[in-house]
Amino acid sequence: MNPGMKLLLVMLIALEISFTQSLIVNCILIAVSFVYILTQHIRMKALLGIIFWPLFPAVGLFVSQWLYGSAGIHFAWILFTRIYAYVFLGATFTLTSSITDLSLTLEQDFHLPSKFAYGVLAAFNLMPKIVEEVQIIKTSALMRGEALHFWSPKLYFKSILSAIQWSQNLAEAMTSHGFVEDYERTHYKIIRITALDWTLFFVLLIIVQVLLFFIRY
Amino acid sequence: MDNKNQATTGKKQSQWTLRNIILIALIAIFTGIIFWGAGFLYTALTVALTPFGMAPFANDLLMGLWCMAGPLTGFIIRTFGSAFLGEFLGASVEVFLGGQWGAGAFISGLVQGIASELGFTLTAYKRYDWFGLNASIFTTVVVTFAWDMIRNGYDKFSLPLLLGLFVTRYISTFIFAGVLTKMIVKLLDRSKAINL
Amino acid sequence: MTDVSINHFTFHYPESDVKVLNDINITFKSHHFSLLSGPSGSGKSTLLYFIAGLYPHFSGNDAVGEIKFGDTNIKDIPREKVSQSVAMMFQNPNQQFAMDTVVHEMTFVLENLRIAPDKMDDIITHALEFCGIKRLRSRVINTLSGGEKQRVALACIVAMDPQVIVLDEPFASIDPDSREDLINKLKILQEKHGKTIILADHDLTSYRNLVDEFYYLDPDTHHINLLDDEQAEHFFKNFESTQTINKKVEVPSGDDNSILKINDFKLEPHHSLLLKLNHLDFYKQKTTLITGANGIGKSTLFNALTKLLPYEGTIVFDGKDIKKIRPLPYAKNVTLLFQDAENQFLNITVKEELDLSLANRTNTDYTQADVDDMLNKLDMAGRDDRIVYSLSEGQKKKLQIIEMLIMNPPVLLMDEPFKGLDYHSLEVVVGFLNRAKKDFHQTQIIISHQLSGLDTLIDYHATFKNQNLAYQEVIK
Repeated sequence: MNPGMKLLLVMLIALEISFTQSLIVNCILIAVSFVYILTQHIRMKALLGIIFWPLFPAVGLFVSQWLYGSAGIHFAWILFTRIYAYVFLGATFTLTSSITDLSLTLEQDFHLPSKFAYGVLAAFNLMPKIVEEVQIIKTSALMRGEALHFWSPKLYFKSILSAIQWSQNLAEAMTSHGFVEDYERTHYKIIRITALDWTLFFVLLIIVQVLLFFIRY
Repeated sequence: MDNKNQATTGKKQSQWTLRNIILIALIAIFTGIIFWGAGFLYTALTVALTPFGMAPFANDLLMGLWCMAGPLTGFIIRTFGSAFLGEFLGASVEVFLGGQWGAGAFISGLVQGIASELGFTLTAYKRYDWFGLNASIFTTVVVTFAWDMIRNGYDKFSLPLLLGLFVTRYISTFIFAGVLTKMIVKLLDRSKAINL
Repeated sequence: MTDVSINHFTFHYPESDVKVLNDINITFKSHHFSLLSGPSGSGKSTLLYFIAGLYPHFSGNDAVGEIKFGDTNIKDIPREKVSQSVAMMFQNPNQQFAMDTVVHEMTFVLENLRIAPDKMDDIITHALEFCGIKRLRSRVINTLSGGEKQRVALACIVAMDPQVIVLDEPFASIDPDSREDLINKLKILQEKHGKTIILADHDLTSYRNLVDEFYYLDPDTHHINLLDDEQAEHFFKNFESTQTINKKVEVPSGDDNSILKINDFKLEPHHSLLLKLNHLDFYKQKTTLITGANGIGKSTLFNALTKLLPYEGTIVFDGKDIKKIRPLPYAKNVTLLFQDAENQFLNITVKEELDLSLANRTNTDYTQADVDDMLNKLDMAGRDDRIVYSLSEGQKKKLQIIEMLIMNPPVLLMDEPFKGLDYHSLEVVVGFLNRAKKDFHQTQIIISHQLSGLDTLIDYHATFKNQNLAYQEVIK
């Protein structure tokens, strides 16, 4: 499915189940997402990760609602499954789509100005370097005798200095590579939203509506 | 370095240049990665508070941290939408790092983005000072709290608990998105790395 | 014919009176290979960025004078057509790509130039072939070495096919094989494809007999002069002399006390082996010089020694595995003087920076008088309120060295500490380092390409070569 449409669908459904209260629909969404993820050849570690980590907030919400909520244990279960529904819905997108393709479709089909599509993409592609840079900033501060933590203004200050320098370098490099803001470009890989994409999008969305309408438990 | 950084030329031009877009995205990613390091804290707090049914306090205690990227980018690139984009991208980073929120983080990012942008909108993008920052803090707390009433079932809690959570969130947001942001912006301003 | 002519070109940064470029009048000839040299930070890059059409757009303020490609002022070329005239290769290999993989980046480049999609595959294949990197086509750029990244950058330029190619110290961090290969490719582009090449570099290795013109940017007058053969030869000779040292050193005899022990060690970032060591010691209160070609892993070794990078094997400091020493105490014992001085700064003004070192140092061996003396000798006194980020590269380096000396760690690792320093300052710094060693028992490990002037300092010399690091008697 077109990654842009997929993201939109995932977000619409996630938004919707934030307002609705159906335990069964949450479970159906989790199950369907889970099966879909299984068909996509996902690494075991990634799969276990998305099952394990949400356990903490999910149990936390469950217990507090169970003890202090006015809506009883049923509602507590709704919150519990809601967390997992978010995660599994999200995973159908993040574990199966590339941000490169997302940028391409946002530019070509959703008419996002190319400077946003490629500017943000270029920044995201530097992510491993950014992880290293944060480490360098912290280590270099240790050598000056200061430990920087997430509450230290200087950690952010130094990070932003790097960000300023890097954004300048990247923008210059992209310009030198022929990129001109707000100017037409050709496209090697044409990503279209096909009739199938539209059909899938609406069919899935309607199914969720129907489920939510009929299943109130 | 020879290529000294200069902020965008002239105030009349659109601030949405390629460079500024990349800058907002980079700041969002940097902050996202720094919070990522604090993720264990959230999990630890949650584990500690869960037996008492007080786990939501972990969320509210750290809320300010998660809402920092918005005011920061809003202050550095002073134009409509920059706070929103920074906050939204910051939340998205967590998704791609494999966070525990999944699609929830996208939506939180959307809500938090709108929330912190709203503060700058209320001051008509003219008050880049303590007042403007507080406006953004106020809208952030109110909007995100309203959102959690729905999403995390806060509306089912009793009034005292609700108030406790609200005050916690306000303090957290005030400290991280307010005081900390102010200190960072002051350092940036003094360093003249960018024309603020 | 598109000569690149620079006419009455003067530039200074806002809020600064110093003219970085002062009334420049030169012509880079069409189809020639021109070398522009001068000390780092003298303004070479600035001129190149203007020629590449990136300034004034990215600089914030404009220059006086004009740059012409043939008869056309660069400012009259529409933005979307600039890339047909000129493309640039940058110093930092890491921040010049927008996309994730090599082929995506090259496609991005061609899309920007509005090339018809059905022609792209051939252009990309041809460009990759020309640069000898067909095997990198689908690789993720982040996993490439510096040398490979610069080859990809050249492949992008070949695909773009501009008239003029501008390169800003493109080989600063890449291995010698890549460097040689890239220079040969540039020569072919010039001779067979009629490209005009303008390359800025302060490192003059392997340009002799290759470049058609040698320009020099004088750091005092900020003029650029075309050198005749004799003058050029003088610069080449002079540069070579800075890369040599006339000193025979001992190989450690085993009587010394070792302070850092490396055992069964393997350094393999991104799955490419950089260094394999069965055993190597660094010795207490000695200065060890590490030499070796660019990009072969010297800095990476320092990153392992400072726990910035994972490694296989053990590193023992003062009898303890460094993995078992907590980060802060370790960092205060084994400290790195970063190659980029700005990395080391945490504050805003010179005084705040010095005060931080005075507050956090582990011992008080340096008195306030010592500090003032060091500042005076390096001409850094009276700059208390200057913003550190606005200092010149040389001043940043001096401040960084002073503040790390004040910290006075038992082991000081230094990555190219003399880069950007004039010769006099270098001699002064060598004096400081000798004192730190003799009076305060400091152990020093230095990576440096600059060798002249270090005679009195170096005790041991280790060469980094063929994934090995070994002590040598001769320094070359």
